[in-house]
Amino acid sequence: MSQTSTAHACETCPIHHAGNLIRMGIKIDNCDFVIALAGNPNTGKSTVFNALTGLRQHTGNWPGKTVTRAEGGFIYNKHRYKIVDLPGTYSLLSTSNDEEIARDFLLFGRPDVTVVVADATRLERNLNLILQVLEITDRAVVCLNLMDEARRHGLQVDERRLSKELGVPVIPTVARRNQGIDELLRAIDEVATGSYRCRPRRIQGESPALRKALNLLVRKLRALHPELPNARWVALRLLEGDQRIIDALRSGELGELHGEQPAASVASVG
Amino acid sequence: MANKMTFSHKAAVEDIITTANRFRWELGENLHDSVMDAIYQDAAGIARRVVTVSGEKPRFDWERTLDRLLTSRVTGFPIMLLLLAVVFWLTIAGANVPSSMLATLLVDTLHPALKGLAANMGMPWWLDGLLIDGMYLAMAWVVSVMLPPMAIFFPLFTLLEDFGYLPRVAFNLDHLFRKAGAHGKQALSMSMGYGCNAAGVIATRIIDSPRERLIAIITNNFALCNGRWPTQILIASLFIGALVPPALAGIVSAAAVVGVTLLGVALTFGISWVLSRTLLKGEPSTFSLELPPYRPPRILQTLYTSLIDRTIFVLWRAVVFALPSGAVIWLVSNIHVGEASIAQHVIQFLDPFGLIIGLNGVILLAYIIAIPANEIVIPTILMLTVMSLGMHDMGAGTGVLFELSEQSAYMAIFGAAGWTTLTGICLMLFSLIHNPCSTTLFTIYKETGSVKWTAVSALLPVVLGLVVCFLVAQVWRMVG
Amino acid sequence: MLTSYITLTLGLAFLGLGIALLRPNTWFREWRYIFRNRKRILIEDALKHLHDHEYRRLPATLQSLAGALAIGDGRAVELVKTLEALGLVRSQDHRLHLTEEGRAYARRVIRIHRLWERYLADQTGLPEQTWHSQAERQEHRMSIQEANRLAARMGNPPYDPHGDPIPTAGGDMPPPRGVPLTDLPEGEFGEIVHLEDEPETVYAQLVALGLYPGMEVQMLKASPERIRIAANGEEFPLAPIVAANVTVEPLSTAARRSETWVKLSHLKPGDTAVVTTISRACRGLQRRRLMDLGLVPGTTVEVEFRSAAGDPTAYRVRGAVIALRKDQADLIYVEKMESVNRKATAQESST
Repeated sequence: MSQTSTAHACETCPIHHAGNLIRMGIKIDNCDFVIALAGNPNTGKSTVFNALTGLRQHTGNWPGKTVTRAEGGFIYNKHRYKIVDLPGTYSLLSTSNDEEIARDFLLFGRPDVTVVVADATRLERNLNLILQVLEITDRAVVCLNLMDEARRHGLQVDERRLSKELGVPVIPTVARRNQGIDELLRAIDEVATGSYRCRPRRIQGESPALRKALNLLVRKLRALHPELPNARWVALRLLEGDQRIIDALRSGELGELHGEQPAASVASVG
Repeated sequence: MANKMTFSHKAAVEDIITTANRFRWELGENLHDSVMDAIYQDAAGIARRVVTVSGEKPRFDWERTLDRLLTSRVTGFPIMLLLLAVVFWLTIAGANVPSSMLATLLVDTLHPALKGLAANMGMPWWLDGLLIDGMYLAMAWVVSVMLPPMAIFFPLFTLLEDFGYLPRVAFNLDHLFRKAGAHGKQALSMSMGYGCNAAGVIATRIIDSPRERLIAIITNNFALCNGRWPTQILIASLFIGALVPPALAGIVSAAAVVGVTLLGVALTFGISWVLSRTLLKGEPSTFSLELPPYRPPRILQTLYTSLIDRTIFVLWRAVVFALPSGAVIWLVSNIHVGEASIAQHVIQFLDPFGLIIGLNGVILLAYIIAIPANEIVIPTILMLTVMSLGMHDMGAGTGVLFELSEQSAYMAIFGAAGWTTLTGICLMLFSLIHNPCSTTLFTIYKETGSVKWTAVSALLPVVLGLVVCFLVAQVWRMVG
Repeated sequence: MLTSYITLTLGLAFLGLGIALLRPNTWFREWRYIFRNRKRILIEDALKHLHDHEYRRLPATLQSLAGALAIGDGRAVELVKTLEALGLVRSQDHRLHLTEEGRAYARRVIRIHRLWERYLADQTGLPEQTWHSQAERQEHRMSIQEANRLAARMGNPPYDPHGDPIPTAGGDMPPPRGVPLTDLPEGEFGEIVHLEDEPETVYAQLVALGLYPGMEVQMLKASPERIRIAANGEEFPLAPIVAANVTVEPLSTAARRSETWVKLSHLKPGDTAVVTTISRACRGLQRRRLMDLGLVPGTTVEVEFRSAAGDPTAYRVRGAVIALRKDQADLIYVEKMESVNRKATAQESST
């Protein structure tokens, strides 16, 4: 099933003019960067995954096609990337299995870049997940997929404005026609190497009672772990009674998370 | 790092957790809702600022029109039935020629060639029999019967899926399925089951409610699969068609097959209803169905992925299971204990039991040893019948599967074995209502990860089938 | 001979399947368990009764205990002696009080009970009426460690499905809140915070009426014979004995919500509305799915079209078309766009 193409074969492929992309299929050993691929179901996440790795996961016009976790690899700009396709979820806040897998990977798996694939025709609903991801991680790229359909429906998405609002790169793509993949790769590489500094947006507009609780908890958390990049999100999880986070706080695992991530700690200082 | 934690550190952690718990009482049960509310409000604000809808609405909103047309009270169901009929017709009409070509190639040409090769190599008769007559022939049979219809049926279905029509079908049929405690999407896993039950079971992945998904998995077997259609058609034309004047035979036997199919549909609903109120009533249940926008399907990619993901995948599993089955069939008919072969002993033992339920020992044994694939049930029955009757001039040798081209030849064999109309009817019923093939059972196990549900999926239909056949036989004998 | 043997096998197989399918109440094992553990069960039920009275600041006596457990006074005396010997209870001026240890024990039992109800409500499809009786059994069987693990898996829920707080693993519980519905003055608004699940017949009535914690109600008429309340645009007549089992928290005028709510299922294709609330009766997996689809209070919903069979209806929510069954749409309350607009204009003209 897996189509591993050699470097030579791919350079001559007419479709992929991304000159310095080498698709590695499932060959993923000693990578430089780890990428997590998140997104709502039925946004073409698998198509993006396939476009990046050269693998062929089944895609279909149904939510919830991808059931098993997939991993693949590629080389871009001489950096070796490993890409992990997370289960498609609408949110990261409830206690379903899929969401836990995705959330645990984003928090404890420490991906260097998180690519959130969004459906341009349903941006509002997709922003729910994007905003939640940006609460957890500082380094993300939004892949605005299905742009052709958005255009067909007369929708125009101002991606530069969106990028400014979210504080992370936003790349419009049509993954099934391989449009925008080149730009997506460049953005991933820039965020991974640190040449693009993300300033992610944090959620606003919670109720006064909730804000009060969050502020107090964040203060206490900061006193304990001054460098925690996502204290607000951790506080929210504690309020939601998330046992995984409670345990991580007790064991000190949470305090360690930022230690090996220079970029994250720089961002939280700045 | 954890061991460096000081006492005050630990106290601070506990303080944070206790504080959070206190706030949880205050914030109450609406916390989750209000958080989601805040996020969505933020999302809506951003979306308002970055998304613009260009100019006026398109003059002709074909998607809306199409949706109205496909889900209207008047045109919704006729269009659905028409499309379904087209898919089935294309499958049946299109599969005939390649199926017989494959049979000619694999069974009629390659099999004798392999036999000749084996003879030239001086292979011992038992090894040659086991490998070529047993394993190879069973596999060849499954491939030639299974591959062509699946290679047509699955891509067609995938095209409809990619286009976005299938969710509309689920939308239209949900009302019906809800009454049986099931989900509208079960209509799709059922349709897929008419191609192959293993593929149907995999297709239940789209049902995201645990209870309804299990219902769909357990009842998928009542969708008559590709491997059972030939059995139904053959037996109907031999036994039901023969009851009426020749002019009507075609129509009547077709009606019998349709009747069995409809009985399968009725059983699907009935068993779904019972399951949702008994065994599965504790499983959580929910309904969600999104109607995605229509997308122009990409023909080539669809062909590729449906061939890889469904056809080849299912075929591979079937082949893996058919090989040992072929070996078993050959072995039981060639290993002798005392005067008779194992098969003959078992047939003799099973015969009285088979007669009670309107079948016979040969049919029961065939269903036991041909469990990996329904495709080889009829060839196995033929071979076993010929063997147990000692008709040495018929068939291709002990343990070698074969088929006949003439109806009269079938009748000659079955007549000699004492088959009656009742045998035909009960065989049709049992072919519909018996345990799923082992490929499907394995798939059910993989999908549910539970021995319990796999066992239920196997035992429920087989016990039901035995009971139905038993009752039919008793009533038939009482009346007749 | 062989025939009868085979008929027998067939019959047994059918019987076995019938038993597996219908699973008759495993009353024998149940009865044996109760018999063997009757002493512990009695002690735990007694502690629960004492805790309940302490929590609601009611005096607990030997008589109230005997009444609650349906045992004779003689046995009650014996029971209290046992409890005292175990250091769980002390009596003073004919009043029974829980000791520290007794309170901790009672809260462990209550924690298991309420967690189990939460579990049944959120993660199984069992009907609402069966939760309480199942939890009554489970509370004597499950260990507190198992309960804690269950809580962790469910995200440590703070409340049970009836609105009662679940004691924390450390035994913490917030003070009780709200007043009985019967005490709400006429014309005033309140939010339901708790539905008492005992006795079961009364609880079944509350469930049948569609009342749920989090619901906003208005007292229309309170007389000793009959009580009438309004909620979500409907009127409910209640017997006072039923209303006494509902606890409400009075709402100030500012916190009050609207009376113009209707059920989503009442809208027709072409209508547009804004979601105001989702009933608490929609819970667990079901609720999560709605949230996933972006159906939260404040969401604009447009009714698109009905299915060919008339039941699921397609709605446009945040740019996507989703189908909801009627029984789901019944649990979602909305305000029609016209009334939203009217209110906005009214506000503008007044300022």
